[in-house]
Amino acid sequence: MEQAPPIIETDGLTRDFRKTRAVDSLDLSIQPGELFGLVGPDGAGKTTTLRLLAGLLDITSGSATVAGYDLARQPEAVKRRIGYMAQQFSLYGELSVVENLFFFSELYDVPRSELKQRTERLLAFAGLTDFKDRWAVQLSGGMQKKLALACTLIHEPEILLLDEPTTGVDPVSRREFWDILTDLYLGGTTILVSTPYMDEADRCSRVGLMYTGRMVICAEPRQIRAQIEGELIELRPDDWQAALALVETLPGVHEVQTYGELLHVFVDSGDQRLPEIEAALMEHGVAYRGIRRATARMEEAFISLIKRLEEGRED
Amino acid sequence: MSWRHLRAIIRKEINHIMRDRMTFTLVMFTPVALLFLMAYALTVDIKHVPVAVLDYDRSSTSRAFAQRTTEGEDLDLYAVVDCLDEVENLLMHGEIKAALVINPAFESDLQSLRGVSLQVVIDGTEPESGGFAVEHIVGRAEEFVGELLADQMRALDVSLESLQPIDLRVRTLYNPGLKPRIDLVPGLISMVLGMPALSVALTLAHEREHGTLEQVMATPVGRAELLLGKMIPYIIVGLVNVIVIPILARLAFHIPFNGSFPLFFWLSALFLFAILSMGTIVGVFIHTQPAALALSFLVIFFPGFFLTGIFFPIASMPEMMRMEAMFLPGTHYAVITRGVFLPGVGLDVLWPYGVMLVGLGVAFTAVAALFFRKKLG
Amino acid sequence: MFKRVWSLVIKEFIHLIKDWWMPAFMLFGGTLELLLVGWATSRPITNLPLMVLDQDQSAASRAVVVALENTGTFALEAEAPDMPTIQDAMERGEINAAVVIPPDFDNELASPKGKPTLAILLNGAESIPATAALRAVQGVISDMGEGITLRRLGLSPGAFSGFDPSLRVWFNETLSEALYTTPAELGLMLEFTVLLFAALSFARERELGTLEQLLVMPFSSLEIIIGKAIPAVLVGFCDFVIMLSMIHFAFHVPIRGSLALLLVVAFGYLLVELGKGMVISVTSRTQHQAFMLVMMIGMVDFMFTGYAAPVESMPEVIQLVANVVPAYHWLTILRGILLKGAGLDVLWPNILALAALGLVIGTFSLRYVRRALD
Repeated sequence: MEQAPPIIETDGLTRDFRKTRAVDSLDLSIQPGELFGLVGPDGAGKTTTLRLLAGLLDITSGSATVAGYDLARQPEAVKRRIGYMAQQFSLYGELSVVENLFFFSELYDVPRSELKQRTERLLAFAGLTDFKDRWAVQLSGGMQKKLALACTLIHEPEILLLDEPTTGVDPVSRREFWDILTDLYLGGTTILVSTPYMDEADRCSRVGLMYTGRMVICAEPRQIRAQIEGELIELRPDDWQAALALVETLPGVHEVQTYGELLHVFVDSGDQRLPEIEAALMEHGVAYRGIRRATARMEEAFISLIKRLEEGRED
Repeated sequence: MSWRHLRAIIRKEINHIMRDRMTFTLVMFTPVALLFLMAYALTVDIKHVPVAVLDYDRSSTSRAFAQRTTEGEDLDLYAVVDCLDEVENLLMHGEIKAALVINPAFESDLQSLRGVSLQVVIDGTEPESGGFAVEHIVGRAEEFVGELLADQMRALDVSLESLQPIDLRVRTLYNPGLKPRIDLVPGLISMVLGMPALSVALTLAHEREHGTLEQVMATPVGRAELLLGKMIPYIIVGLVNVIVIPILARLAFHIPFNGSFPLFFWLSALFLFAILSMGTIVGVFIHTQPAALALSFLVIFFPGFFLTGIFFPIASMPEMMRMEAMFLPGTHYAVITRGVFLPGVGLDVLWPYGVMLVGLGVAFTAVAALFFRKKLG
Repeated sequence: MFKRVWSLVIKEFIHLIKDWWMPAFMLFGGTLELLLVGWATSRPITNLPLMVLDQDQSAASRAVVVALENTGTFALEAEAPDMPTIQDAMERGEINAAVVIPPDFDNELASPKGKPTLAILLNGAESIPATAALRAVQGVISDMGEGITLRRLGLSPGAFSGFDPSLRVWFNETLSEALYTTPAELGLMLEFTVLLFAALSFARERELGTLEQLLVMPFSSLEIIIGKAIPAVLVGFCDFVIMLSMIHFAFHVPIRGSLALLLVVAFGYLLVELGKGMVISVTSRTQHQAFMLVMMIGMVDFMFTGYAAPVESMPEVIQLVANVVPAYHWLTILRGILLKGAGLDVLWPNILALAALGLVIGTFSLRYVRRALD
């Protein structure tokens, strides 16, 4: 089956800020209708990438095309086809919910005849109908983000660029927000969303991990999880430092990660190594409260990948 | 340019201005307050200047003379002293601002038609008072001596009406008496009405600091639309003061408004357009509010004070500064306000200044729009 | 505690350097304005456009015109053919003065009992040049008049020198206007810049949201206040020294009194204004507001500085109020030390008043700001 041309494509996209290279030769290719997650630690270049694609920053070198328009030469045309949501709350606090929506509808030249309908739909969609006359500054964090999202949707763009839309939002609102995104995705909107939350990466159709400005890996979530070497054993020790020191030295252990109170041990064969580890712990008198086989998740995969990258850099 | 976009920005901006009650009140009220404070300080009549008299002659003539010079409200006789040291002391303590020193031969000099010398000592740290005292004393002295000499000359059968044969007739138009200096009030009004330029400079920086500009820049809104959309609400705000301030000035300072108010209104709108576009340029280039404040002052308000001809006549400035003054909207507006208040001139006289204001406004706005990029950083 | 305050001070300085416009403006804006004021007020008024209606067209009338031009105050714009031309030019604001010489001027001048007249029209819409114009004309006329009187009396100039006032100016021998406006400007600028700096300090943090963060850190409100005050005082003091040097070297304003005393008083005055500024700072929600409040307060003080007119000329009520305005005492002290060479013996009432006011304002503002921060 022939693939449609990518709706977002970058070729060696680079952006420098005085002393740092925030985005380094990024090659990205996003198909229409994808829900693409951009993950990575702080400073990885996610926000810069989104801003570049939204036409808010100048490109230092390389090129990018969004919705068929060259970003360097036709940024304004790009802006019509996308909806961009900034990382920090960027709406007018002393305007009400509907006033904010109306403001953006005017700027996007939304046909007047459709305005009322779309506004009502978006308010319901975002759960804001009861708050439509409240000033934006008086909304809770979660509602503010939903309002911001609504404002990017008022002109029904084909592409959404969302910069950490769920950061700082309570878990319930986060779930609701992602439900909305999934609905949009199913409706055919291409979404490029950056997030620091690894579990959200799992809900994307494809994920890209950025690290110090470069794209390290770009694949389906399933494939990334598979990246992690070995199988996972989860252990709950009383003294994790002692346990860590011991388990690291055991044969067949690829990697050990701490996870709150837990220790995640990556071994070549779970069946084989689990009893071995148990035995070693008891032998050395390291108390623990539970040990079991577990499935590796995105989080572990990423941490593992980043660790390997950092070790690679130190060499 | 899309009128729809422009209207949306204007509407948003007006809501923003009006919903911040405190700031709105300040923006409306500060020009009025400033005008009154400055006008009062600058138009106070000098009087009750404390002086001392050091009379070495102690004749009836000298006493009469001393009395003549200090009668009335202008000068207050603080003390009669005996020596120069006391004068110095009083001046040092700031208790007197000037002293009249009458030399010992005063009476005899006068009677023998020899030259009369007189000494006035003034506190140079306040030449306003000191200079006033001198003028006043000299004036009274001339009268006094003139009268005395006239009598004497008649006695000697020399025909001389007065020492001052040339009759100088002075007529002052528009502000007879040249006092109080109410002519400064229109000048101050023209300065004070330009204050919204500061708010315009700050508002762009404000949006940058709060991040709201980012979201707007991601939309297809035009640069000119954004900038004009920010200027126009402040023009409206400024026009409210254009109506209110002359009314208040008339009531408080009894300054006449002899010209046509509608003309003044429309010319003021042009002025606001011009000066707010200067503020817009500042806002385009500067990204933080304190810096915008600083630059507005340096580039708009300081020159507005010194170069616009309100306090220091342009005719006396060197060529280069005169040319710079032409680029300031305040210069042209000062002429307009002056003309409208006191002489009451009309469009036939003022139209060139209106044209200049339009030209400056268009030029500055164009510069702002050209340099404004819808990009971050 | 000192360590904590010190870390705050460092943080403030880092901000100052990052946002270098603000301190640069504080340091040099005041100086620039000072320069402008000094320069503008040291220039004489010259080149005022003048029109002459010479109805006599005689040697004498032309002599008058030449004499007027020679004063340097005037620039002869045109010889007007008639009165309407003059009136039109006045209305348009094209001329500041006009002189009308009547047709019989020369005859009256020559005849022993003649009474020559001259009319001068002044454009009262600009009183400052008009006053200068009047003075210049009066000067010319009085010189001419003296010459005539002497001639008529048959006296030689040496025998009757007429009326000769001599002026002795103390503290400001050359009567340079710059000498008195620049200290006033200095005093005002110092107040304004310190006030502005202090006023913006908290308002800016509140507006940007960093104030909350600051308050949850383990600093007591007193420490925060001191931490903000120190950089403000340092910058303000540097500002003062720079401006003082400028007026001293550029405009030859002397420092006749004790420089040490001046610096101490200046420092104290800084603290007073700082207190006021901080009160404004915590009551404003945004920097815009803070700035407007500073303008208004600054302007109120402007009146009391005697900048434009001496305080004695104002109504009694205002004169009484002046005693509780710090700026009033500050300027008296400033002028006194700079120009009069006054010392503690003369200035002690003002210094005492300033100290007392400082104490009151300082305590009040400290309490107020602490309460606001908590």
